[in-house]
Amino acid sequence: MGRTVGIDLGTTFSLIAAFDPAEGRPRCVPGPYGSTLCPSVVSVDPDGSILVGEPARRRLLTQPERTIYSVKRLMGRGVEDVQEELKLFPFRIDPESRNVIRVRLGERVLTPPEISSFILRELKSWAERHFGESVERAVITVPAYFNDAQRQATRDAGRLAGLEVLRLVNEPTAAALAYGLHEQRRGRVAVYDLGGGTFDISILKLVSTGQGDIYQVLSTNGDTHLGGDDLDLRLLAVARQEIRVRHGLNLAQHPAVVQELRKALIGAKHELSESNRATLLVPLPDGSAYVREITRAEFEGLVQPILERTMGPVRMALADSKLRSEEIDEVVLVGGSTRVPLVRRMVEQLFGRRPHTELDPDEVVALGAAVQADILSRGVKDMLLLDVTPLSLGMETMGGVVAKIIPRNSTIPASAQEMFTTGVENQTGIDIHVLQGERELAADCRSLAKFQLRVPPGPAGLARIEVKFLIDANGILQVSARDLRTGQQQSLEVQPSYGLNDTEIERMLEESIEYAEQDFARRQLIESRHEGEAILQATARSLARLEAEAPGEMPEAERRAVEAAESALREALAGDDYKLIRARTEEMNQATLPLAERVMNRALSGALAGKRLSDV
Amino acid sequence: MRAETFRNAGDGIAAGGGLASRFFAQGASSYSMTTGTTSANPSAAAACWSCGAPVSGSHFCAGCGRIQPLAREADYFSFFGLPRKLTFDASDLESRFHQLSWKLHPDNFAGASEFERELSLERSSQLNDAYRALNEPLSRVEYLLSLAGMRKEGQQKQQAPPELLEEVFELNESLDELRGARRSGGDPGELASLRKRLQAARENFREKLGEVDRSLEQLSGEWDRALDANSAASPDADNPAQRKLMERMNEALNRRSYIRNLVESVQKELAES
Repeated sequence: MGRTVGIDLGTTFSLIAAFDPAEGRPRCVPGPYGSTLCPSVVSVDPDGSILVGEPARRRLLTQPERTIYSVKRLMGRGVEDVQEELKLFPFRIDPESRNVIRVRLGERVLTPPEISSFILRELKSWAERHFGESVERAVITVPAYFNDAQRQATRDAGRLAGLEVLRLVNEPTAAALAYGLHEQRRGRVAVYDLGGGTFDISILKLVSTGQGDIYQVLSTNGDTHLGGDDLDLRLLAVARQEIRVRHGLNLAQHPAVVQELRKALIGAKHELSESNRATLLVPLPDGSAYVREITRAEFEGLVQPILERTMGPVRMALADSKLRSEEIDEVVLVGGSTRVPLVRRMVEQLFGRRPHTELDPDEVVALGAAVQADILSRGVKDMLLLDVTPLSLGMETMGGVVAKIIPRNSTIPASAQEMFTTGVENQTGIDIHVLQGERELAADCRSLAKFQLRVPPGPAGLARIEVKFLIDANGILQVSARDLRTGQQQSLEVQPSYGLNDTEIERMLEESIEYAEQDFARRQLIESRHEGEAILQATARSLARLEAEAPGEMPEAERRAVEAAESALREALAGDDYKLIRARTEEMNQATLPLAERVMNRALSGALAGKRLSDV
Repeated sequence: MRAETFRNAGDGIAAGGGLASRFFAQGASSYSMTTGTTSANPSAAAACWSCGAPVSGSHFCAGCGRIQPLAREADYFSFFGLPRKLTFDASDLESRFHQLSWKLHPDNFAGASEFERELSLERSSQLNDAYRALNEPLSRVEYLLSLAGMRKEGQQKQQAPPELLEEVFELNESLDELRGARRSGGDPGELASLRKRLQAARENFREKLGEVDRSLEQLSGEWDRALDANSAASPDADNPAQRKLMERMNEALNRRSYIRNLVESVQKELAES
């Protein structure tokens, strides 16, 4: 059945982890570049292939209009939701976009779940390479404050990546699970999770029972549009303004420079967590450079208003948990943005205690997801998560007012039944509009879906249709209806307000398989070409060095063999058969073995003569 | 939320065949029970869907240990194995909640059949709904009354309790004056005195809220004692004494929600001015 993994699909970085039975703890899997962090960046190559992670991140500088980052901010959202941030992103939105955003990257038009599925596929391949077995099932984490549409979009991404999504787990809850395992804590815990694009606060109660430990979430709150990205955008706005004033340059026409600037600012932000000042140096299109020193105090002054926005949700979560801040036994910091010293000070001040930072704030969510994946796949249980739904579920009633049917912070699964009847004679349908949110008016809440109950014709008030709303353990809504007079279950045709419908998912799934094959071949071609070019260059360097230092040392037969292999490889490189390129590269490798040995020997004797190996 | 999830819910049932249709015929609301329902338990004669052994409303079959569908009559009190009493130890309820969570949570059924996963979802959601309703003294009273058909969603009386009429009238006047004064830019001295009057009214109504809570507490105690005296496991709405108690609790709840709305509207007005 393969290995079951935990995935943290983050705004800035994504990680994959699995439980290591031998060690009795979860571990994050490193990728080809050695890091466990996969940048959540996707780029479409002009040849149509998809690049993910580090290679895609490099393309932010060279091909910003073909590259997308922070796609998580677009998940489960409509175009009108993201107007503000679209001004700041380099990529373009397809004009056809309505309830699902469609991003134009080069020749392809992709939805956020599709883009996220590329990231998931990449991580899946990391784990498959690492463990040498297939990975088909996963637990994926989502911000606790994600609404139904955002959760659906995440689950769709998993499905498009060829994963069976066993469970969506809330990020702060996953972190608490990892921490509990690490420290064997008890009591009331606040998890403050400030990531790249989302903020969550969860209050949990950790209880030991005869059967094991229960992690019961008491309340959660947050902002799905608040994170490190916002700090970067603030810095970027200041820098662009200064460049406009000092250099008379408007960077709107220079997306690549904007990305260069953004990268430098993020670097400075990181540096300011360690030291008191950082210096920026960014080359500008007019040949000059933007040089700027920034102190930690100045940085804190700029971002404080943004960080203050986390305090409202924290107070709301505390109020909902019916606890005072001094009744919290432990505070845990999660997410890369909690490295900012100001964040730590604010949290410490609010709770009156030093927060825990023992676990890597980048890895802890993925580690917790791996623990939950292990629980679900092995069926061995000594831990149980009881999570809550972050937002109240309601229905639109007369006058556009929302009637709440499942209050926020209800433990999930949760359900509610509502009875419906007709108001006029021979009415054939009852329209139902389901919403999520805390506001009184439907217009101020998040629309989830609309559907119509069918009613057999008859006098007003005779029909009795019972609708059951059920929020499952993923925090996703299911609805069923039943005619109480006939006892018949009614099938519902539901139009989701945001998100993909079934037909679209099916089509994308087909495309993704088709593209996956093409993508695989294209990627192999790119990689094999790279390897082929690399060995040609290395050989040329070695030959030149040997010629310079010891002309004539190489036997003629050996030289001819190298030359033959070289021209065969060049011939293969001119085509697009990656298998042929691989084979010829390997032949070239064999043919140049004696040459490599000669160069190595000379280097070693040279080292005795005071030459360093790295100079060779 | 998408069509697929809805269809899936239906498909899952269809896949279960005859057993499944029985599950849905029984599953769901206890809120929709009508007046006069007693503790009679028609499901006592039901049989386990898996092994056919008799089951009587328990979570699992005593014979094969399989999770069982919810009986339509199942109420939140019996779900926890509790009598329909209104005062009880919160930590006892919590530990029952935790124990049942271990057994019923969908995590336990990750590898089970689709039908059993549905049952787990049904039962664990019922568990959480029941805990939510019974954990708070107020919602517990509301739930008890709803079992007797005395409280229906959206049908709470919103008329002012007669003995409050005068005070409510005054309060509304003050609220109107404050709004009027604010609209016309009003003089600061007048605004301040209006605010003071409203603050006093708010305190007055808050005290009344406390009184209602105390009287509800007292009524709950009476209810429990009556139940003990009757040595009945559940209330009988046809019993005139119990019926009377329920009506008094219902009145108190209506009063409470009326006063709470008042306090909230004053609060809102004060915050805006």
